[in-house]
Parts: sequence; C-alpha cells; structure tokens
Amino acid sequence: MMPVVGAPETLEEISPAEDLAAAALSLARRFAAGATMWCVAPQWPAHARHVAVEFVHPVIVGKRALPAVHVEAVDVAGALRLLGRPGDVLLAVSDADDPLVTELLRRSEAWGLNRLWLGAGPRPRPGLAEHVVWLDGADPALAARSGDMVLLYHLLWELTHVVFEHPGLLEDEPVCTDDVCITCSDEGRVAEVRTVRDQTSAEVVVSGLTETVDVSLVEPVEAGDLVLVHAGVVLSTLHHGEHGQQAAFEGFR
Amino acid sequence: MTSEPTGFLYPFIDAEERDSSSLVADLAASARAKIGESRAIRAATLDRCDSALAETGRAMADRFQRGGRLFAFGNGGSATDAEGTVELFRNPPHGRPLAAMSLVDDRAVLTALANDVGFELVFSRQLIAHAKEGDIAVGFSTSGGSVNVLGAFVEAARRTLLTVGLCGYEGGAMAQSDVVDHCLVVRSDSVHRIQEAQDALILRLWSIVQQCLEEDSESGRP
Repeated sequence: MMPVVGAPETLEEISPAEDLAAAALSLARRFAAGATMWCVAPQWPAHARHVAVEFVHPVIVGKRALPAVHVEAVDVAGALRLLGRPGDVLLAVSDADDPLVTELLRRSEAWGLNRLWLGAGPRPRPGLAEHVVWLDGADPALAARSGDMVLLYHLLWELTHVVFEHPGLLEDEPVCTDDVCITCSDEGRVAEVRTVRDQTSAEVVVSGLTETVDVSLVEPVEAGDLVLVHAGVVLSTLHHGEHGQQAAFEGFR
Repeated sequence: MTSEPTGFLYPFIDAEERDSSSLVADLAASARAKIGESRAIRAATLDRCDSALAETGRAMADRFQRGGRLFAFGNGGSATDAEGTVELFRNPPHGRPLAAMSLVDDRAVLTALANDVGFELVFSRQLIAHAKEGDIAVGFSTSGGSVNVLGAFVEAARRTLLTVGLCGYEGGAMAQSDVVDHCLVVRSDSVHRIQEAQDALILRLWSIVQQCLEEDSESGRP
C-alpha cells in the first residue's frame, strides 16, 4: 500500500530510509508470492542493468537469487505488456519527468503490476507508483552518478533479504488498509483497451484482469487507449493509442 | 529460516511474527546508518585520492584533446559501472561530450570471445581490435583481481594507452600492477560501498576532465 503522503512541509521528514524500508517489505512479499521484478531506466540504462544483476547474482554468497530483469526492447511497453503478470513488480529509475517511465507506470496500473520508483530531483506527483523512493533536492543528472542512486538499490536489495529472514511477515498485506481503497471505493480504475467490440462495448484490462466494459459514454476508443472505468462503464479516456500524446497524461490527477 | 545464531532453538517464533512495524523501523534505522556510512566513505575516498584524481583527470584530458577515445570495461556490477562511465562522458549533463565506448555492450562480441577463446580474453581481444595510440582504458574490479580486466590493462599498456583502474579492498593485483598508470582504490571491504565510491570517483574524474578542457580552450592550448 502506498505510504500516506502528507502536506508538503512534512515531505522533508520522509527520508529515503523510511521509504526504502516500506518498499523492501512490499518487494519481499511480492517476490515470496512469485513475482518477477522488471527494471527500466531509460535515461540511465546502466542502473536498470545493475539492479537486475544485484538481485539475480547477489554479492553475498548464499543469498537467494531473485528474478529481476532489465527490459531492453525497441517497444518497452509492448514487451512488458506481454511479459508482465499481475502481481509482478515494475522498478523504474528516472527523474520525475521521464515520459516513457510515466507512461509505463500508468499502464502498469492497468496491467496489475506493483510499481516502485527510484529517482532524484523534484518529486513526481503522487499516484503513479505504490512506492516512491526519492533523493529530494538533488540534481538528478548528478545524483545518478554520485553513488547516491546506486546506494538506493543496494539498500533495497539488502533490506529485501532481511525481510526474507522473517517468514511470518512475508504473507501479503491485506487489500484494504487505507481509508480510501481504490478497489472498493467509488474511485475509477485505470484500464487499458485490448479489443473494441462495437460502438458500445470493449474488452479492457484492469488490474491485470480482462473485463468487458461499456464505452458508449466516450468518444470511440481503440486498442492501447488508457481509460478510466467505474462500475463497468468507461467514464473518460486518459491517453490515446499505443504511443499517444504525452499531453494526455499531464492533466491527469 | 533465520539468521539469528539462536534462531534454531525457536523455530516457530519467526513464522508466527505478524506485526511488521518493528521490522520496518529496524530496516529504516539500518538504511539510515548505511546512507551515512556510504557518504562518509565517498567523502574520505575523494579526499584521499584528491591529487591522484587531479593528475589522472589532466592526463585523460590531454588524451581527449589529441583525439583519444575512452574504453571502459568490468564484470557484473562493474560492467554497469563501465557502462555508466560511458553514458556520463558521452552524454554529459553539461560540458563537452567525449568519445567513449563500453566493451561490455556488444553481446555478440562478448559471447563469441567467451565461447571461442575464453572469458579472460573478452576485453583484451576487443582492445586489440579497437585501440589506437592516444586512447584511454578504464577498468573496474572491486576485488582488483578480475583476470580479464588485468589482462586488458596489459594489452592496453602494450598499445601505449593511458590506463586507469578502479578497485576496492586493499587494491589487490590491480594496485600492484606496473601496467596500470593510475590506480584509484576505495579502501572498504563492502562491494556495495566500493561501487558507490567508484561512482563518486568517476563523477569527480569526469568533472576534472571537463574543467581541464575548458581551461585549455580558454588559454588557447591545443
């Protein structure tokens, strides 16, 4: 569950240490449930590769190998759509403005992936990832090279393995712990259109599951569109097409 | 499974643990301590290597001025350090983009060499193909003992490249090698802390190179 983010003045008190701890607990639980962690870092691919090698081939002999993969593809979203399974983890390393990462995080919500975002500089707006571990106030281009970014995922790896030493805590968190639960509340959910049947209905993927929804309230949709679904009805289109205009994301939330 | 030495006496305790709040607090405290430790090691390493960095950066800038290129290499996490070095030099956040390539990028070449001649030769064989007089070889090995990295330095020196090595612990064989012109050692026995400090060393080195190039262009030095 996403940690509660308070008023801006309290952000300073949330150091990467607290966010890392929460992210590690969640990540260990996902791994224990059989998840694969997919890693992307469009601006700094070396970081995504480093994360993958860290988890697959631990520096400490005897620690278990965990499935982590750097996703390298001409069409990263297309590859992840095929490879990712509901309950998997998407780990992104970037600044808050990376357009590809923003798109992947948004789509991953529909695909049912848990999202973990490591970065630096101005914080991203809330809602794009379950866990945000951020180097506040740093220049992202320099933080990516100063040893601070690699420190974040070294610690994430280490803390994840500490959690494995507590098997009683590896059972997944209950679905509803927040006051506002996305699954049960009145809030709409993000879905990705898979197939358009006719002018009134389409098959979409929501939290990794396929549903048939009513599309009669919105302009015609097409495969790849991201839409907001509530009670089986598409209320609005968030993002057009496979590689639609980034602008469509900007006004969202 | 538990790592506590007495854990085998109480096999059911951990399995019955349900409240994660104290674990999360411990994890955060551990992370805080290691963030402090990492930053202290990086600061101490930059401090201790200050004059070596200035000398190395100046020598690299001279090579770049004369059209030299940088080749970076290493294994595993060090391969990603090599790749990150190339990203930084070629696509810098500011300053002059510089010719740099990583010898871990091409999987066809890597697997061909590993399969046909052995993994200990994967970097040196590429240097034989690519390196020219005036180029720079930057190799990473946290132990200082990676055979293919040490072998690449031998080949690089034979071709009169400038050789720059980054390693950890006490420096291992790399620190003893007479074919490594500049060896920057991170004195730590944690692979993680070594890699973090190697990032800091490379960032500083890059910034010294940029500074030298800027001063040269202002003073009209070729």
